[in-house]
Amino acid sequence: MILSVKERGQFVATMRHINVWLMETMAGWVPSTPEMEVKLQFGEHLWDAAQHADALGKRTSELRMPLHHNLPPAKEYIDFLNTVSGVEPTQQRLAAIYDVVLPGLAAHYRRFLDKTDSLADAPTVRILERHLNDIDRMLQSNRDMCSDLPDLFLNDKTWIDALREQEARCDPVAISITEPEARAVEA
Amino acid sequence: MRTKRVRGIEVRDDPAREPCFEIVHLHEDIPDIGGMGIEHRRQRLHREYNQEVQAIEVAAICITDFPDAPWELRLELARQCWDEVRHAALLLRRLQALGGHKGQYPIANLNWSLVGMIDSLVGRLAIQHRTFEAGSLDVEAVAIPLFREAGDDETADAMEVIEADEIHHVRFGNEWVKRFTDADPRAVLEIAKAVAWLKRVVAATGGEPLHDIPTERDARELAGFSDAEIGEVERIEQTINAGNECSAGK
Repeated sequence: MILSVKERGQFVATMRHINVWLMETMAGWVPSTPEMEVKLQFGEHLWDAAQHADALGKRTSELRMPLHHNLPPAKEYIDFLNTVSGVEPTQQRLAAIYDVVLPGLAAHYRRFLDKTDSLADAPTVRILERHLNDIDRMLQSNRDMCSDLPDLFLNDKTWIDALREQEARCDPVAISITEPEARAVEA
Repeated sequence: MRTKRVRGIEVRDDPAREPCFEIVHLHEDIPDIGGMGIEHRRQRLHREYNQEVQAIEVAAICITDFPDAPWELRLELARQCWDEVRHAALLLRRLQALGGHKGQYPIANLNWSLVGMIDSLVGRLAIQHRTFEAGSLDVEAVAIPLFREAGDDETADAMEVIEADEIHHVRFGNEWVKRFTDADPRAVLEIAKAVAWLKRVVAATGGEPLHDIPTERDARELAGFSDAEIGEVERIEQTINAGNECSAGK
């Protein structure tokens, strides 16, 4: 089954929204995080998020949407992002981004790659595969930093697990219409 | 936004720093170790390191404070954050190679405190990019040969890397200031307001932005300044230097 142009557009535009959020959240944390190494890591990775948003935003215009179109995620996912935005201690900020948000985003990308047709949707596939490589690098960079500076590790596993559960509970894409349903609507 | 008062002027409060840093309000509150010996070079690298970190912080708040800015400009600012991160890391690496460390000297965050008070994006670009970053092109052109003469080629090389990136930051600042003013003449008023604010802070804190630093014409041309604009900066520089000579001759 080939995902419809609408479904692919919705996914891409939603992922763009999340990457813009990621860029803005890390940018907001740059001045308010005291540890220089963390500040610098956020400064670097917000550029990764910006590039991802840019590539996804160019793709939206190829999927019958405006250039750089954003679709807000589902309400539950927005609540999850708001929870993360409100985090203040540095260890929790790092855990939220590198243990929950980015791995969660990678999982959503992989699920989409499993569903979409690699020939029909090849441009999206290429974009997401590149982004997955970048996410791996970002996660490794955080592991290296926390290994050099063990005080940055968050030892509160309960807190991380609760956030992971919140993330896992929601599908970020707000409107998810399966292909047969979509056809039925059109008919 | 939290603020603080410096010499009677209300400016943005300092960004977060680790406890290892002693924060002062102004650079002149930090005793300058003269010459080009190792201690002076460490102090300078430490100061420049913190300047680069402030540049990341200023670019970052330009992203967060102006969510409706054109996407292409936000992308430039995000890229600038990464550039400044690399600059800070390069300077810290040199500082550590010279036996220095983070927090070795006091730091001042005046750039942040000043630019962070400007409430328009075009005003911030005019001050941070067209004034401070453009001024750093002039400073680096003087500093690089001094580091080479002192036998510190590694620091000179690092500063050349930084200068090349700063030229692009000034260039995109110039381009976007022009685009904003072309699109809306009221942007000129925002720039005038920001420049007046800069002058007020400089007057209160006793700073002299072009003091004894010759204008680096080549770098400014690459960064998109017109001949007339460079000529104006050179004219101001000559006026300041003439004033200094008169004062010295009294």
